[in-house]
Parts: sequence; structure tokens; C-alpha cells
Amino acid sequence: MSKEVLSVKNLNMHYETLSGDVHAVKDVSFSVKEGESFGLVGESGCGKTSVAMSLLQLQADNAKISSGSIQLDGVELVGMNESELRKVRWDGISIVFQGAMNAWNPVVKVGEQIREAIREHYPEKSKAENTEKIESLFKMVGLDATVIDRFPHELSGGMKQRAIIALALSCDPKVVIADEPTTALDVVIQDQILKEIKKVQELLGLSLIYISHDIAVIAEMTNRMAVMYAGRIVESGPTADIFANPRHSYTKALLESTPSVVGDRVKLNSLDGEPPSLIDEISGCSFAPRCPNKTTTCKPELDMKLVEVGPEHYVDICSKESH
Amino acid sequence: MNENIEQDLQKQLRKEAIRRNWNLFKQSKLGMIGLYIVIFFLFLALLQPFLFITGIWNKGVYDPVVGYEAIKDTLLVVECPKEYPTEKYESMKDCPGEGEINVKRLYLAPGVEVGDYYEAFIQPAPPSSRHLLGTDSLGRDVFSQIMEGSQVAFVLGLLSATLGVGISTILGTIAAFFGGRVDAYLMRQSDLILMLPSLPLLFIISAFAELKVWHLAVVLGVLGGLGGSVITIKSQALQVKVKPFVDSARITGGSRWRIMFSHVLPNVAPLALLFMVFSVTGAIASESVLSFLGLLNIDMSWGIMIYLSQTDGFIFSGLEFWWLILPAGLAVTLLAGGFYLVGRGLDDVFNPRLRKR
Amino acid sequence: MGEYIIKRTLQMTVVFFLFLVFSYLLFNAIPGNAFSNLLLNPDLPPDAYQKVLELYGLDKPLFERLQLYIVNFFKGDFGYSYKSFPKTPIELIAERLPRTLMLFAIVNIVSFYTGFFIGKILAWRRGSQSETWITLTSVFSYTVFYPWFALMMLWVFGYKLGWLPIGKFLYPEKWYDAPFDSDIVFSSMIKFTIVVSLIQFAAYLATRGIESLSSRRNLRFASLIAIFIGSYFYWNNGAALIKKPYAADIAYHMILPVMVVTIVAFAGTALLTRTTMMEVLKEDYILTARAKGISQKRIRDRHAARTALLPVVTSFIFTIVTIIDGSVLTEQIFSWPGMGQLLLQSVLEEDIPVAMACFSFVGVFALVAHLLADISYSYLDPRIRIKSQG
Repeated sequence: MSKEVLSVKNLNMHYETLSGDVHAVKDVSFSVKEGESFGLVGESGCGKTSVAMSLLQLQADNAKISSGSIQLDGVELVGMNESELRKVRWDGISIVFQGAMNAWNPVVKVGEQIREAIREHYPEKSKAENTEKIESLFKMVGLDATVIDRFPHELSGGMKQRAIIALALSCDPKVVIADEPTTALDVVIQDQILKEIKKVQELLGLSLIYISHDIAVIAEMTNRMAVMYAGRIVESGPTADIFANPRHSYTKALLESTPSVVGDRVKLNSLDGEPPSLIDEISGCSFAPRCPNKTTTCKPELDMKLVEVGPEHYVDICSKESH
Repeated sequence: MNENIEQDLQKQLRKEAIRRNWNLFKQSKLGMIGLYIVIFFLFLALLQPFLFITGIWNKGVYDPVVGYEAIKDTLLVVECPKEYPTEKYESMKDCPGEGEINVKRLYLAPGVEVGDYYEAFIQPAPPSSRHLLGTDSLGRDVFSQIMEGSQVAFVLGLLSATLGVGISTILGTIAAFFGGRVDAYLMRQSDLILMLPSLPLLFIISAFAELKVWHLAVVLGVLGGLGGSVITIKSQALQVKVKPFVDSARITGGSRWRIMFSHVLPNVAPLALLFMVFSVTGAIASESVLSFLGLLNIDMSWGIMIYLSQTDGFIFSGLEFWWLILPAGLAVTLLAGGFYLVGRGLDDVFNPRLRKR
Repeated sequence: MGEYIIKRTLQMTVVFFLFLVFSYLLFNAIPGNAFSNLLLNPDLPPDAYQKVLELYGLDKPLFERLQLYIVNFFKGDFGYSYKSFPKTPIELIAERLPRTLMLFAIVNIVSFYTGFFIGKILAWRRGSQSETWITLTSVFSYTVFYPWFALMMLWVFGYKLGWLPIGKFLYPEKWYDAPFDSDIVFSSMIKFTIVVSLIQFAAYLATRGIESLSSRRNLRFASLIAIFIGSYFYWNNGAALIKKPYAADIAYHMILPVMVVTIVAFAGTALLTRTTMMEVLKEDYILTARAKGISQKRIRDRHAARTALLPVVTSFIFTIVTIIDGSVLTEQIFSWPGMGQLLLQSVLEEDIPVAMACFSFVGVFALVAHLLADISYSYLDPRIRIKSQG
């Protein structure tokens, strides 16, 4: 049993806006072990990016973590002040952003931007050491060393994305968050990048949190995963287990909506309706309005809790019944 | 029938958009401060004709240019000693004191002796109940002058700004859109205008042409419109030009002119609006400087007020004749600044990236 | 790039030609001429006026005069000043230019730095109380009635408090037995300023390659100290020592104009910086920088401000273009006899050769500055650089 590197317990986060508080993350708990790859899946707006940003506390000014705990290697991150957090960022947890196009400062060379990150956390290292490090990182992700002196706009999309991965690894973090890193790329490059990420993870023994709305990618990349809906985790557990044995109606619907390459062409099942607004406080099952397996017992007043239905396989159900 | 529905829908959408923008504008503290200032001065500008028309104000007395009120004061005639301090006076500055006049100044009034009472015209007169801001050296009501100046400022500012921005927006968009030789020509043209030093140029123009408010507005507008602002608008239009919707408009067969007017211009319009508001600031400031230098042929404006106070020698009088300089100077600063702040508020509305939440 | 410059220069020449013609016609549109006040003299012999006109060629028809002027201009002959005969316009300009350059170079640098610095802070403190107050102060100092404000400051500091001199650029009494003319002192001051700026700039470039940030900062600070010490030695030895009191006198006279103009002018740069920084702050790469764990202050200074520099530098270059135009008013108020005053005077007196020469100077200046601005912009933004080379 490898130890837990990141553990999130009952995290609650909301955004304060003019129209009210938007509860983006509701009572989220999960953990990531050393060397494993954890996936976070859900549709747009379900809160997965908010979770990722909360880990590094990078959200906008109007975001507040109201309760919960985030522990990295036993160190509590919630409640840390800005200067303490800055030390953890990148050194402890780093992030590969969606859309590498804009993640780079257009007027600074690529190499310099990576150097900056290293310098922030290891100011004593010499220029030569840093150059060596960057070169080896680039080799690992499949980039030529000449990229160091290039400007971001001189690189293609795939190159930029690989460079972002190199950037994320530059301070040898314990956890790397990959937030939809391949969404903006074509499938061929996507495949390459995914293989790179896997290779790098195995090489360095990193823990990876992979966020995506593409369930197929999650299936390929992760050991354990969680499904999010309307800010809550509705199901979590080993990836293989969830795919073989989905328990929550939303998970089932998600799996069914992916077309299969083999077999007959069938009409895709999609759900009616839309995810609920996160401003209102929802009690009871938030999925109930759209659930195709609704029964008369799914009333809004019921409490929800996570129940273990298999080895480490949890499902968010109402206390009355499970479907 | 479909057309009518479409038009109604468009009207509704537009109303919605305006209401939304107004709410956004209200959030900007600076924008609202600016708006209050502008409304205040607008009120002043409209107040004056109202007071005249309704007869509350007698035109003979309160007209800013030809009004006259003879303010008399009874003063005691004294003689200022050659040496100080004395019982009554500490230094030369204290003599004559309040309500007194030095006999040496009365060489035009023979027969007046020390100890007599003398009725003197006091021009300029300090603020009183009849004249809220006093009168200037020709007996004209200062408050009325401020209101007149407000009218001038609005007319001048808005006219020249609209003209200038109209010209530069059209030219800038054309330059961005047609590129090539048209662009090069327009850039050189604005270079030509840029090269001319503005103040001397205005001196020259005023030497051979009478510059009244309208003329000045046109001159400022044209000069401003053809100058550097074309370049700025052009760069903005260039950014719009490379957006995908322009390409799709072109593919669907729109002619270049039509694309320019229906698609590109509306997107450049917010920036142009911003420019316009800032141009008003510049126009008001320019007029006051030019009037101060005596270049203009305007009857009355804030700049003229300061000009008069300078030629009459009051400008260095410190705080003694403050009502001759301060109201006019403050008015220029406030209104010009007010328009600028409105521009800032509009900035918040049109640039969503700059908004807080 | 080279091809672009050549094409541009050709266009500029055409524009300049048009400019000359236009200006000349403009000057002649003013009623009267440089000598019309001779007619006010009742003792003037009857044909003297006519003779004077003939002497200066002012009796010829306009078109002929225009042709003569243009031809002579491109031959390099700018004529003689009508009012200060036999001085040529070039002499007059050479005399006045250093004074304007010195004053306004300092003014522009100081207000640019102040404006940029305040703009940076303004953008960072968005939404707070201080932002509102600072902005209001900036806006109202920008729109304050400049002649009045300048005169007020002169009155307060010069007359009432007596701390600073009232106008002019030197105390004539101190210069009675000066071995130098003022322009010599000016040119050595200008040279000194240029050298110091170049050294600072070179030091900045040289330390760019150094890895450790703290040693980078220390080295730059050290170079600043070195400049101070170097200046001290420079001014206290040899030829410079003799010039020192005169240079100091001039510098003393510059304090008030620099102060006044900076207060009025910094807001423009500050507000522009603020707007650009705001746009930049919403960019994704700022988020990346935060994620990397970099402090807010450093993000502001090294990432946001760096990109915000682009339009600010462009506007700075445009401000340089209007140095002489802007100096007209200031030089009048502070009695600083520089180019601006020369320009205005020659226009008012209808001293056409001098006026034309001044206008031409400003014109060329504007054209070249515009070209430089375009080039430097493409240099500062590497995205444009590649495109123009491609």
C-alpha cells in the first residue's frame, strides 16, 4: 500500500458574485497515492477545474474556501497565507494548463520562463545547472534543446504543450495536475502527448491528477477516478471497477454516451435537461431532476452520503435506496 | 410579417443591451462621479437661458457680456502714512483698510478731503447676495459668465469631438480594411498633420481667420480627426479585421464596403466612443488655453474669463480677487476631468476584461 | 526591414515637400509682413519701405517666392532671418535648441518614469479606495488649467517663498565674467546626461544574462553608485570644474519647470499604463506565473509591466515628437528662451525664413520619430518582428 500524497477532505468552495454565492465545490473528498494517476471526470461547469484551482489556491479573488482540508504529504494547505502557499506552488504541486497557447508570456523566451520557475524555488542553483535540467526535461518530453531560446509563438501547438509539461516538471513536484491538457489539439498529437505524459509519470514516479470531460481518455490514463456532477463527487473508485460496474445513474449515462468504434451504430443516449445552477442550495440528490431511474423516494429533503459498494468504490446516494 | 417580428426583436435586444450597459456603468465609481459633474454643468448651461426667459433675471443686469450692475460702496477717505507701524496700521498692506480708501487714489475726484465719505464704484465686486460669485471689472455677473462658459464648453467640446472622431474612425477603418496604397496614403496624411506644431498653427489661423466658437470647433475637430488618432483607430480596426466573423462575412459574398460598415465599424465603435469622450476633455482644455492667449474671438467663455483677469492684472493678486480666477479655472478642470471620468466608466463597460466582477 | 525603410523614406520625402509648400503658403496668408510696423514710424522716408521689401525679395509674387524658397531649401540655403539679420535661421536654431532639449529631455524622462510607476501601482490596486483617490488626483492634475497652474507655482515658489528662480534659465549677474557662452555649458550638460544614460542602459543590458536575481539587482545598484562617483569626479576636475557653477545655475533654474510639467504630464502616462496593465493582468500567462509561485510584486513588475511597456514606449516616442510644440507654452511662461519660443516669435513676427526653418525642423523630427516608433514597436513585440522579416 503506497502512502497518500494528497488528501482532500470535505472541501467546500464558493465564488462570491453579484447574483449570489456560486457553490462550485460541495463536500468533495478524495485522495491520491504516490505514483498513481487519479482522474476527475464530469461535464463542463461541474466543478473539476475549480477543484484543481483550489488545490493551489489559484482561483480568482472572489473565491473562498469555506471549509474542508487539503493535505499535501501531511501538510495542511487550507489556511496557509500567501507567502507559504507560494513555496508550495510548483514545488509541491504543479499544473499543466488547458490551452498552452495562452499560458506562455509572448515576449519572454521559453527557456527563460522555465528558468524563472526554478529560480523562484531554488535560487542557489547556477545557470549551467538550470540549463542542464531544462535540456534533460525537454529530452524527456521530446523537444529539441534549441527550443530554449525560442519565443512561444515560434512553436507549434504540440510543441507548446510539451513545453508546458516540461515547465510543470521543472521543480520536481510531488503532484502534477493536468487540466484537459489535450483538448485543444488534434487526435494524433493528443495521442502522442498522452503517451508522453504516461512515460514521464512512470519515469519520475509522479502522482498525477488528470482532469477531463473525455471519459475515454480517463479510461486510458488513470488508475482511480471520480465522477463529478454539479459540484459534488457522485461516484469514485478504481477506474476499471467503475467502468465495469457503474453504480450512479449519472455515471451510467456518461458511459453510455460515448460512441463505440466497434459494433453496430446505435443511437446515443443523452440526458435531457441541464445541470442545476450552482447558486441555489440543493438538498438531496442534485441529479434527481434528470435521472432516468428516478423513483418516488428521490425527494429533495433526503441526505446524501457516500457509501462503499465495492473495494474503495464509493457512490453518492440518498440514504433511502441506491439505484 | 416575419420582418416585423425580426425588427421588434432587434429593438428589444437593443433595449436590453442598453439597460445592461447602464447597470455596468453605474458600478464604476469614477464613471458616476464624472457623470454627476457633467450633469451639473449641463444644468448650469441650461439654467441661464431659463432664468432669462422666465424673467427671474433681468438681462440688463445679468447678461454675461453686456450686463452691468453698478455696485457702489461708501468708503471713508483716509491718508496712508509714510511710515509704519502706526496706531491703526501695522504695515503698508493694511492701509487703506476695509471700508476705507486712500485719498491719494482720488485725484479724479476734486474737493474730497480726508475724513469725508466717498461713494465709489467697486468693480470688480466680491460675491454678494445679488451676485453669487461677484462681478468682474466691467460689472458683469461672474456666475452668469460661468453658465455662459458652460454652454460654450459643451457646444465646442461635443461638436469638435464628434467631428474629429467621426473623421478618424472612418479614415482609420478604411486604412485598416483596404490596406496597401490607401493605407500608406492615409498614414502619410496623418503624418503631415502630426508634423504641424499645433499651437503655432492655431496662432496662424487666428491671424487670418476670425475664430468664433463654431469655427474653432470645426478647426479643432478636423485637425484632431486627421491626425494621430487615425493611427490608433486603424490598429484597433486591424484587430477586428482578423477575427473569423469578418472572413465569414466575406465568404457569404458581402462587398467590402458593406462588411466595413455593418461589421467592422460597430466593433470599432466602442473605442471610438471612448475617444470621443476623451476628445471633449482636450477640446475644453484647448479652448481655455487659446482664449487665455488671446487668440479667440469668442464673446465669453471660461478661458476668456481667465484671460481678462490676467490682462486686468488680477491674476497675481493672490486670494484677494479669487472670484475672478478660481471659478473659471475650477470649471475648466472639473468639466474636462468629468468627461474623462465618464470615459473611464465607459471603458469598464466596453472592455469586459477590465471589469471587476 | 531595409526595403521597408527605403520605401518609407521616399514617402516621407514627398510628405515633407508638401509640408514645406503648405507651411510657406500658410505663413503668407497672414496679413501684413515682417516689416509692416515700419510703416508706423512717421519719420520714415517714403520709399524706404519699398526698398526694404525689395531687399528681402518680399515684393515678388507669391508663386515666384515659393519656387525660390523650395529650390534654395533643397540646395541647403535657408535664407537669413528678417528680424535678426544677418543671422541665419540655422544659427538661431543652434543657439536655442540645446536649451529646449536639455529641459525637455529631463522633463520627459521624469514624467515618463513617474507616470509608469504610478500606473503600475494603480493597476495593481484595482478596486481599492486608494485607486479611486489616486485616479481622481491624476485626472484633475491632468486637466488643471496649465497656464494658471504654472503661473501659480511660479508665484508661490518664486515670489512668495523665494526658493526657486522666477523664470529664465540663468542669473545674468552670475554669468558676467563667464568664460563660456551658455550654449557651451548646455552642450556639455547634454553630453553628460547622454553618457550617463548610455552607461546605465549598457549596465542593464550587460546584467541581463546573470542568473541570480539578487546579484543582478546588486550589480545594477553598484553601477548606479559608480555613476554617482564618476560624475562627482568629472565635475570636480579640469574643464568641467570651471563649468560647474554655471551648470549648477542652469540646473537650479530647471527645477521649477520640470516639477510643474511633470505634475501635469505624468497622468497621461499613468492612465495609459494602468489601462494596458489591466488588459495584461487578465491574460492566462499571468495565471501561469502565479501558479509557479512567483510573488505578486514580481509578476507585476516583470510580466505585466513588461508587456504594458509596449504602448507606453510608443506614446513616449510620440511625446518626444511634440517636445517642441509642447514647449511653446512652457517656455513662454517660464521665459525659457528655447526653440518653442523661437518658433512662436518667428510666427508672430512673420520672420518667414526662421519660421519655415523651425517648422521644417519640427516636421522632420516628427517624421523620423514616427518611423522610429514603428520600428521600435516591432522590436519590442517579437510577434510583429517575425512577421516583418518574413
